[in-house]
Amino acid sequence: MIMLKVESVTKRFGGLVALRNVSMSVNKNEIFGIIGPNGSGKTTLFNVISGVLRPDEGKVIFEDKDITHMRPSDRVKLGIARTFQTIRVFPYMPVYWNVMVTASSVYSDSRIAKARVSWALIITGLLGEAGELAGKLTPYKLKMLEFARCLVANPKLIMLDEPFAGLSPEEIERLISIILKLRENGLTFIIIEHKLKYLMRIADRIMALSLGEKVAEGKPDEVARHPKVIEAYIGVT
Amino acid sequence: MEFTLIKFIFIFGVLHSFIYLSFALGFSLVFGVAKIPYLSYAGLYTLSAYLMHLLLTKAGIPTIISAISSIGAIGGLSIVIGDYIVKPSMKNPLSIFISTMTVSYIVEEVFRIKMGLTPVALPALRGVITIAGVPVAQQWIAVLIIGAVSSFLVLIYLSKTATGKSIRAVAESWYESMIIGINPYKVFRVTMLIAGLLAGVASISLSPLKAVVPSMGWSPLFVSFAIVILGGMGSIKGTVVASFIYGFVEQFVTWKYGGAFASIVPLALIVLVLIFRPTGLFGEKE
Amino acid sequence: MFRQKTVADKVRENLLGIIVLLILALLPMRANDFLLDTLVRTYIFVILAVTLDFFSGTTGYLNLGHSFIFGLSAYLTGILYVYLKIPTEIAILGAGLLGTFGSLALLLPSLRVRGVYFAILSLLYPIIFIGIVTTQPFSLYLGGEGGLRIKQLFLDIARKLPPTERLAFLHNAYYYLSFILMVASFIVLYKLAYNEFGFKLRSIGQDEELSEAAGVNTTNMKIKGFLLSAVFASYAGALYAGMRPPITVDFVNTGSILLPTLTAMIVGGAGTIIGPAIAAFLLTLLYQYLWGLVGLWRTVAYMIILLAFVLIRPQGIFFDIYLRIRRLVDKVIG
Repeated sequence: MIMLKVESVTKRFGGLVALRNVSMSVNKNEIFGIIGPNGSGKTTLFNVISGVLRPDEGKVIFEDKDITHMRPSDRVKLGIARTFQTIRVFPYMPVYWNVMVTASSVYSDSRIAKARVSWALIITGLLGEAGELAGKLTPYKLKMLEFARCLVANPKLIMLDEPFAGLSPEEIERLISIILKLRENGLTFIIIEHKLKYLMRIADRIMALSLGEKVAEGKPDEVARHPKVIEAYIGVT
Repeated sequence: MEFTLIKFIFIFGVLHSFIYLSFALGFSLVFGVAKIPYLSYAGLYTLSAYLMHLLLTKAGIPTIISAISSIGAIGGLSIVIGDYIVKPSMKNPLSIFISTMTVSYIVEEVFRIKMGLTPVALPALRGVITIAGVPVAQQWIAVLIIGAVSSFLVLIYLSKTATGKSIRAVAESWYESMIIGINPYKVFRVTMLIAGLLAGVASISLSPLKAVVPSMGWSPLFVSFAIVILGGMGSIKGTVVASFIYGFVEQFVTWKYGGAFASIVPLALIVLVLIFRPTGLFGEKE
Repeated sequence: MFRQKTVADKVRENLLGIIVLLILALLPMRANDFLLDTLVRTYIFVILAVTLDFFSGTTGYLNLGHSFIFGLSAYLTGILYVYLKIPTEIAILGAGLLGTFGSLALLLPSLRVRGVYFAILSLLYPIIFIGIVTTQPFSLYLGGEGGLRIKQLFLDIARKLPPTERLAFLHNAYYYLSFILMVASFIVLYKLAYNEFGFKLRSIGQDEELSEAAGVNTTNMKIKGFLLSAVFASYAGALYAGMRPPITVDFVNTGSILLPTLTAMIVGGAGTIIGPAIAAFLLTLLYQYLWGLVGLWRTVAYMIILLAFVLIRPQGIFFDIYLRIRRLVDKVIG
């Protein structure tokens, strides 16, 4: 079953074309990877899917619903969650409230919201820091906080933007096991990553972007060997 | 609309537009370089007029020298404000807002206490000339020339000189201009100086025609803000075009409907632009 | 996980506040009229500070036109009385409501753009308002410089009392009305600010884009937060118009209304609600005291205080002081 469909999306910034005619579809329960050199449009694509940006052309369809012009907060309520490349949290609010802000926006019953927050904090191991100001957390815990914010709303699709950046190998392994466990429980993932070694292990399919265009899509090892992909990476180094 | 009305609107539109342009350019430059609305502009405008008045009457200094000293002092004060008030709080936009705004209020309050609310008169060029049957005070010609010349000088400065071009570079991106070797802080100070000088010049040339009262600075500030929003943030071309649009619209409303309605013009314009085209005429998407 | 809080718990938690409220509530029995008068002004400023902080201190949308809200309902009170012949008491109730929605004019144009625009736009409103009210043809209908004259609140009731009791009645009535409005606005806004509603507002202030991405409908929240702030500020304005006619442009004057309120918000600690409340209280009293010290220059002194705090200690001090006192009190009570 197709969870998300991106149809011929083009996005321009002034004279720059950040995304050109990009199409992709993600199946339910899939781990879909997106790779590409810096500036290839990966985060822009995330922004279009999550609603931070509107495409100049094309459509975004989530579970058969056209969400192209829906505001981000409504997409969250539909079940789309995302993290940011530069970890973003609300630095001057306690960890508890960082997650509660999302929960109370999605659940009208505050008891459910509180229960969901407790659950999210437990899974991500942040229960002990619930009262700490988010700005004081370590990078790994910050990522966990972003994760908790995503999870608390009971998402169907989670989009992670370079989740492994800045983490030690052990931390990456921990994160991977969490992702895989969540996938077992029915979640779908789209992951942008540079650390190809780890992405290859967990992704079902990968799409490669270069200069705003899709240059390859398919199983991880196919894409890794694709001449255009190699060219895109080597060409830019 | 009768022909006389059109003549009035056109002539006063031109007269106002050039001086508004020179003033709005200062505001626009600071907005571009420091990314903040220069709320102290109102205070500088007011201070300039009162300073000249004091130099003239209390110190008996001749008109031209008072004018030049006053303008220079305001330019210097602008740099000081930039260094001690704007720069320290640059990471916190709210703080800059409040602090720069407070400077203007302090100026207004000090002069309200010391000089009272009675308007003060600055010397004007005497005499009235007629242009196409419309009586125009000679001072207006001075305003026109001063406005046009200062605008022209600033525009040339921005496009032809090295510092001028670095101002535009810093307005685009502090980071990138640092990479190519420009010192954005130096550019910042120059920008503040220019803005201060322009405020002083506009104030001294216009004040003889309008009342010098403690609250006089806010109107020019809002006019510049309306012009910059209409023209589009960060666009010099936009500021130029918008100044003329603004000047003519304002004079149209003034001569056809009266002063009370004219005071709504800046607000109405800003609201309309924000609702229908937030980036302004030539602004970049932000 | 937590046991339910008993009444005794609640009393202990809020002991400090309860004591202060009791003292203030019983004050009219011992205080002279001048003190009551000063306190009325103080309470109005506390309302202004708390309402400004509730919206601007959390979302970062600096409402520099807060005095517009105050003055709008003041003038609406006058208009309802003069032109619709509605008695002052009812005019106040109506004007408060109308003014709340009228003040949305401040917020709506800037909903599509960044908060910076809102601040500058809001700065414009009071000035334009004053410009309109003081110029022909509007000045003829709105009282111009002299102001709109209305029948003072409760004046007819006071006239039914023996002459010696009239003034005391009015002073007490005004005192309790403003006191109740202040307590009501403080309690409502304080509770909201430290709950889900308030934290959503704060998330907008800390990172609006993230807030939206985190599921908060920022447009919705901004409107709701603004309306809550506006309703109490509006009623404060309408009430003040009823208590202190004539209604003049002083009600909208940014210098005399917005700046002291802004000072209280900054010096008290933006976003804390209670910091600005304390600050407004103390600073308004300080303002009176400054008169004896520096006369007319007290307004400039006030502005310099604001400037100094914004440059040197933008997080304010009164909230920190309050926290320390709280901890001490909690330790003593046990």
